[in-house]
Amino acid sequence: MKSLFQKVPRLVIAVFGLAVFGLARAPLEEGLRERLVESNLLMPPPGQGAFEQMSQSALMGTLGGLRSLVATYLTLNAFEHFSTKSWDDLRANYLIITNLEPRDESHWVSVIWHIGINATANMEIDTRLPAFERERRFKEYAFQAIELGERGISQIPGSVAIRLQLAEVYREKLKDDCATARIYGTIIGLPGEPAYARRFYGYFMARCPGREGEAYDYLMSLYREGERQRLPTLIKEIKNLEEKLLIPSFRRISEADPDQPGKGQSPASRALPGGIIVP
Amino acid sequence: MSETPTTPAESTPRTTPRAAGKSVPIFSIGRVHTIASSTVTQLVRMKTFYFLLAFALVVVAVGNFNIPATPAKELSMIKKVAFGTMDIFAWLFAIVATALLIPKDVEDRTLYTILAKPVRRIEYLLGKLGGVLAVIAISLVAMYAICAAVIFSRESLFVSAEYQSMVASGQYTGAEIEEQLSLIRSQGLRAELGIAVLASFFKAAVVAVVTIFLSTFASSSLFTIIVSVLLFLIGHAHHMASSFWLDESGNSVLVQMLVKVVKVLIPNYQLFSFSEGIVQGEAVVAALVWQMGGLTSGYLIVFLLLSLLVFVDKEF
Amino acid sequence: MSEPAVEVKNLTKVFSLGLRKEYVVAVDNLSFEVKAGEVYGLIGPNGSGKSTTMKVVLGLMAASKGSAKVFGLDSGDIRARNEIGFLPENPYFYKHLSGAETLRFYGKLCGLKGAALKDRIGELLKLVDLEGAANRRLAGYSKGMLQRIGLAQSLIQNPRLVILDEPTAGVDPVGSRQIRDLIMRLRDEGYTVFLCSHLLEQVQEVCDRVGIIFKGRMRREGTLDELIEIENQTSMTIENATPELIAGIHELIRSSKGARLIEEGHSRTSLEHLFIQIAERNREGES
Repeated sequence: MKSLFQKVPRLVIAVFGLAVFGLARAPLEEGLRERLVESNLLMPPPGQGAFEQMSQSALMGTLGGLRSLVATYLTLNAFEHFSTKSWDDLRANYLIITNLEPRDESHWVSVIWHIGINATANMEIDTRLPAFERERRFKEYAFQAIELGERGISQIPGSVAIRLQLAEVYREKLKDDCATARIYGTIIGLPGEPAYARRFYGYFMARCPGREGEAYDYLMSLYREGERQRLPTLIKEIKNLEEKLLIPSFRRISEADPDQPGKGQSPASRALPGGIIVP
Repeated sequence: MSETPTTPAESTPRTTPRAAGKSVPIFSIGRVHTIASSTVTQLVRMKTFYFLLAFALVVVAVGNFNIPATPAKELSMIKKVAFGTMDIFAWLFAIVATALLIPKDVEDRTLYTILAKPVRRIEYLLGKLGGVLAVIAISLVAMYAICAAVIFSRESLFVSAEYQSMVASGQYTGAEIEEQLSLIRSQGLRAELGIAVLASFFKAAVVAVVTIFLSTFASSSLFTIIVSVLLFLIGHAHHMASSFWLDESGNSVLVQMLVKVVKVLIPNYQLFSFSEGIVQGEAVVAALVWQMGGLTSGYLIVFLLLSLLVFVDKEF
Repeated sequence: MSEPAVEVKNLTKVFSLGLRKEYVVAVDNLSFEVKAGEVYGLIGPNGSGKSTTMKVVLGLMAASKGSAKVFGLDSGDIRARNEIGFLPENPYFYKHLSGAETLRFYGKLCGLKGAALKDRIGELLKLVDLEGAANRRLAGYSKGMLQRIGLAQSLIQNPRLVILDEPTAGVDPVGSRQIRDLIMRLRDEGYTVFLCSHLLEQVQEVCDRVGIIFKGRMRREGTLDELIEIENQTSMTIENATPELIAGIHELIRSSKGARLIEEGHSRTSLEHLFIQIAERNREGES
């Protein structure tokens, strides 16, 4: 045995030792990797799509364990595209960024905001393009933003910020009240849910054709929670629904419609402060 | 000094031969410490700490970028750049310093004079590794201090500016203001960032010991550096390689074998990138940090033993 | 009879060249002994196997066959290295350390510390005449100074045997002489010195016994006198001889049966001695 040990070059024995160590550590490391990914400390490898779009240096950096650095560089680069209104380049950057750091909520929020709000707004006013093209691109950007929002939610299911940004696209750009209501509905109950989420859910449901009855019941349940919820918009939406659903007068709320103070049944002393601020 | 050569016959009568010296301990921490502290002195006097200056410049520059983003996002970006750069400096330093030290000792024959003293080869290797790790630890602490100063100053600035503008607008309740400020603080200086520094240290330690192993049989520093960097890159693609090549049946047996061999021989460096999650603000799981520490120790012990296996018989 | 300081027996060292099955025999069945307390010189041209032999004795290389022992201990034994002080050819120590720091580093490696180490450093710096340069970094040392600090480091743990590989290679004659004087002093203090050199004159001046090695084999070995004496020839050097005295000597040689004058002339100093003389004179003039 000893003579065999002396005959075989030490390097060969070392490589053999390396292999034994490799086989021994593989299951341990796989378990550790899974637990690190589960606890979000380690990011799973980027999707193949990200690699196809990355430049060689970004790819090397990513492979070299520098994902955060590459992502940050691309974020700065995206701001550059924002300032030159190069929306497609900006989106391409964010596709890589969100692949590299899918757990960073701010990337998703930024890209939805850039594409869904800024790019679409730019299409409304960019006179360099013919009207037809602007309209087409407007829709394209809005739908791209929605798709990004859905991908973001699938990556960070508990994210309120992504949903709020997505709801803004539906609400402000596509004027889709049903979809807006649906998104606000999914925010309810999430940790960090803003106080207005439930009211907004009700308001937009009220404007969604076919869901008026459901919206009336929901808004009334908020109304019954007390003064805290009885904001001008809530009163107004209930009033609208009372009219629309032909609610008998004895069941109608006592407050006046904030837009038509004289018309309501409530005494003048109950008049709410005018103007809608934060709903 | 005499002008004519002295011949042995003319020399003064000599004393009796000298007595035997003291016994030598089997292993001496003192010798390891001597070699480690000499390595630290060597790296310090090679002015390696100047790179801290470059690091400080990067962090301060990023800290003062005018980024059109919210304060929380800006803080998050500063953190990512600072900690990412810290991570690069740590592993790059581990490779270059380690690759330069041992082959340089061989080339300069300093190694002869060290090994001609009662020094065991394991003591020499441990001393060199200890020295490099000490310098990496000192550098990481210094870099962390620089980062902490920049992040803390930006965070304080953002918090006070946000507070003032929210109070001035008069639209927000105390709770809302506090919520907004805590969002900024969550991206600022937190104790968990210290664990991110520890993660970078774990990675650099494994890189250093792998480089020591390479340098025990490599022919030059340049070779050691190139191979170390290559292994580092490949070591990040472990999981990816398996999912691309092993899980798809379309690949040839040869490719699959190759991937398996690479996976078995090359350290899984990807695991050691968990500092990125911490920097992004994810909660630290203490048990996992301990386990990673254990894995790092495992790498250090195994690679040191393998290095010794090659080095103990090496002829100079 | 005391134990030999170095005992090399049937030492063979073979190097393989790359992956091809080609071999070079650097040392071929070499045997010799260095007795305790003597100065032994191993001489031979470059590539004759001197350094390889030395490395085996130091435990830096393993013998392919045969053995090397230091004071009875196998050369690979770490205890053997505590008995050896080694100065490699053209030593490059850590340039970032000062002379005193270099000695402290090697002293600590040998387990010395505290006041004992400090005293030993002072003693050795004085011995090699580098007290004035103790705090200067080695990067600023001349070749001779490096060689002297190297010699000091080899002595730090007070070893019994000092191994010197080409101790004066590349050093100017003045520095070279200082080193030679130091070697004499070491011998007088009871150190065993084993040196390798290809500078014959140097070996001739300091060594008690010499081994001549060529192509890895010991060609001749013995005391210096034994090796260089030409038994049937005699030389004389006469000062202030008159022409009459020289004529008389010639006459005596002619009348003596079988005797023959081979060479005659004025004594010459060697260029080396002349150089040293001038350098010393200038140094005295400056001071």
